[in-house]
Amino acid sequence: MAQISQPWRRRLLSALLVVVLSGCAGSPVLQQALPESDGIAELTDTPFFPQREYQCGPAALATVLQASGVEATPADLVRTVYTPGRQGSLQVDLLATTRATGRVPYVLGGTLSDIAGELRAGRPVVVLQNLGVKLIPRWHYAVVVGLNLTDDTVVLRSGIDRRRVMPAKLFLKTWARGDYWAFTALRPGELPANVEYERYISAVAAVEQIGQTDAAILAWRAALGRWPDDIVARFGLGNALLSARKPAEAEQQYRVLLAARPGVAAARNNLAIALLKQGRYDEALLQVERALVDASDAEVNEITDSRRQIQAALGDSKQ
Amino acid sequence: MMIRKPAKLLLNLLSVAILSSGFAQFTFAGPIDTAHLIEADARSANLERVQVLLSQDAVAEQLQQLGVDESAVAERLQSMTAAELVALEWQLEEGIAGGSAIGVIGTVFLVLIILELVGVTDIFKAF
Repeated sequence: MAQISQPWRRRLLSALLVVVLSGCAGSPVLQQALPESDGIAELTDTPFFPQREYQCGPAALATVLQASGVEATPADLVRTVYTPGRQGSLQVDLLATTRATGRVPYVLGGTLSDIAGELRAGRPVVVLQNLGVKLIPRWHYAVVVGLNLTDDTVVLRSGIDRRRVMPAKLFLKTWARGDYWAFTALRPGELPANVEYERYISAVAAVEQIGQTDAAILAWRAALGRWPDDIVARFGLGNALLSARKPAEAEQQYRVLLAARPGVAAARNNLAIALLKQGRYDEALLQVERALVDASDAEVNEITDSRRQIQAALGDSKQ
Repeated sequence: MMIRKPAKLLLNLLSVAILSSGFAQFTFAGPIDTAHLIEADARSANLERVQVLLSQDAVAEQLQQLGVDESAVAERLQSMTAAELVALEWQLEEGIAGGSAIGVIGTVFLVLIILELVGVTDIFKAF
């Protein structure tokens, strides 16, 4: 080491000492974050897949998927999760792959209480950690399976450790550097423990959008169980039923929605389509005309297309 | 501007082909999708669609360059929402990829050891 003058060395040492001491001090993180908690049982049954080099993404995802009843191994997931050129996995790829297996990926609110809620419901949680620092990041996915309030530690399936026990304070720092990103894989129909309306609705809309229709039907029904008057969930359920070729059931949902909110032109348009699919062309035409009256500028084109489609079907049927 | 009828038809077909290339979500006739009620105003939704189409190509190309199999790229994009596609483009730029290696030398290494010892990082645990 290069020569450092005596006073400087002393200053450096005392500075280091301060850093070391402050690293040890502090009150229990978990008890502070979860004041009313009387302990959370560790999810000891959660499977474990020791990761291969750089492949914490597939390993962490396989862990939560298997815990939710999907038979998937890290090897199965590498194709759609791992990006070789980055020697790592991207967050979006984890979510998209979860969705493709018929589960509902739900990104948590980002507090320890959110993780605690999921663990209590029996669902392990994938977290993104930055084990390095901002300038020299080392991104890592691990799975939280336990929060131990007695000794203030977080228990993880991580890397090659089946049971990594990390001081809660250190965990929180590494998780904060990962922007508190965490998600859980819900079975369709399950609601997250600390469910937030917008997060859940957009999670289910995504499932519906990619064509996981059966999963979407169950998930929209769960949303309606929680928010019975919600028009987005009702509309989503109708749409999922329509995609599942159940136009009569879809019709029912649109009618419930329109009884409460008659002016929702999108729902009336889809009601018309549901009638069209049942061969009830006259009723369909009536509804689509009404939808056009209520349509916003942005909706007019699509609804006009629907009307054209219905008129064509009506014309054919009368020939 | 006058466009002859066959040419107009071709244009329409072409624009539909471009808009729907590889992306099953965008249907033009038929039911209005659920996202319609979620997106606050339709104008931003339309802007987003344009952005999505641009992102889609950019992302697909980038993933392939990063060694992802061509069929796997299509599979990935199919399971993503419009917003995620845009997020993916951003994540590729930011370089957040769980599992990344670290390349460190010299003094930086020393600083890291100190950070590790005082419990700020957990960088040197074996994987």
